[in-house]
Amino acid sequence: MGSIELVCPAGSPAMLRAAIEAGADSVYCGLRDETNARNFPGLNFSPAELKAAAAWAHDRGGKVLVAVNTFARAGEVDAWRASVDSAAAAGADAIIVADLGVLAYAQAQHPGLRLHLSVQAAAGSAEAIAFYAQAYGVKRVVLPRVLSAPEIAALVRETDVEVEAFVYGGLCVMAEGRCALSSYATGKSPNLAGVCSPPEAVSLEETDGLLTPRLGGFMIDQVAPGTAAGYPTLCKGRFEAEGTASHLFEDPTSLNAMALLAELRTAGVRAVKIEGRQRGKAYVARVAGAFRAALDALDRGETTAPYEARLTGLAEGGRETAGAYRKAWR
Amino acid sequence: MRTRHRLRARRQGDAAELLMALRPPAEWVLSAALRRLARRRPEVFERLGAFGEAAFVIVPDGSPVAFRLAPQGASAGVQVRRRNDRSPSVARIEGPLGALLGLFDGSVDADAAFFSRAIRVSGDIEAVMALHNTLEAADLTLADLLGLSGPASQMANEAVRFARTAASAKAAWA
Ligand code: SF4
Repeated sequence: MGSIELVCPAGSPAMLRAAIEAGADSVYCGLRDETNARNFPGLNFSPAELKAAAAWAHDRGGKVLVAVNTFARAGEVDAWRASVDSAAAAGADAIIVADLGVLAYAQAQHPGLRLHLSVQAAAGSAEAIAFYAQAYGVKRVVLPRVLSAPEIAALVRETDVEVEAFVYGGLCVMAEGRCALSSYATGKSPNLAGVCSPPEAVSLEETDGLLTPRLGGFMIDQVAPGTAAGYPTLCKGRFEAEGTASHLFEDPTSLNAMALLAELRTAGVRAVKIEGRQRGKAYVARVAGAFRAALDALDRGETTAPYEARLTGLAEGGRETAGAYRKAWR
Repeated sequence: MRTRHRLRARRQGDAAELLMALRPPAEWVLSAALRRLARRRPEVFERLGAFGEAAFVIVPDGSPVAFRLAPQGASAGVQVRRRNDRSPSVARIEGPLGALLGLFDGSVDADAAFFSRAIRVSGDIEAVMALHNTLEAADLTLADLLGLSGPASQMANEAVRFARTAASAKAAWA
């Protein structure tokens, strides 16, 4: 492993193998239920698959981080406890958690299990991070995607907890873990059910090449013939307000912070993370390979520029941004 | 122009008749292979959850026939249907042969597969997503699906690679 850990997504054992073989230091994955924030049909691991995959990864020097990062429902916490137990039994190197109750359970029942704070917890200040470290022994925080690079540098100086930052993939623009758009339209929220804009609420209608995606009955876009359409996520929809149709909440662009890796490393960021457990083997192999090459180049004192072109055409919606890392607004 | 369309339609009609005549042995081979796979690797179909017993219709562009795939349950198997057959199914997946084959071995990116509009889906999107994620996770090749091994398996997988290249070069059956 180089000076920064490369953390890649795995929606299945096959994707986990593809990520490690392409150069990921760690993979993150979840169990096949509502306890993880990518609860899409056909995705994720059974407890037995998780155990076998962790052994496979460990044999190759890779780490497996298990996301148990939705918020446990009051009175129904058994599923979340079972996921923590399964992760521990599988030999996970860490679990990624957002909920205070789940953190408390893991700390009490599995004191040897390393705890990472999920992006869903939205801990973006040194004080918030210190609380999680003191109360639950959290060792790493995944930062919300709303901080600029200088803000991250300032934060790292004020905390002893390891910092992990997203560098590639789909963007979720609301204060992490607090978006109510999906619950409003479909009754299911990413924070509780682990799925934003769930597929059972999606309908696609095509008339004369014009594609109309709907979510929970709400028309959220109209896509012209021959134009690529992303997964119909509510915040990436195009809506009409005051007579003008626009991407009211968020342009459908993807994060790509490869050009900022050197800055993030100087800032003291310990690990960088790729989004996209739902994107599959071909995607993870390409992104992990490109970031592995870029990180190795940095460690050799070279620029990452030659590797940026390797990701062309992969961005969701076809467009990229450096997100909040280079934000000029407040 | 119109004559060319008429000719193509007639050729497609003839091909459909021929393929429909050959249907029983094709269905038997494909269905037997699917059941063998379900026995050998039950975890593959576990991922489909509630959609294991649903029927998916797969329609390669330009092909005169469609394939009706029921992964599990009492009617598990593959049926060959005319492409305009509209008997009940949970979802219909249409697209170029190369892209459809790419779904089987995960060489097509999940988002790219369904939302780039190269592949057109209608019906229950949750079911389609479950099927795609299942195939993507399964690491299957055409040889696995047909239950082949040894040189026959190599030949089948070569054929897929060839078909994908040919299809992406816009060679269609029409
Ligand atoms: S609607 Fe958009 S911002 Fe809200 S949870 Fe979903 S992806 Fe995130």
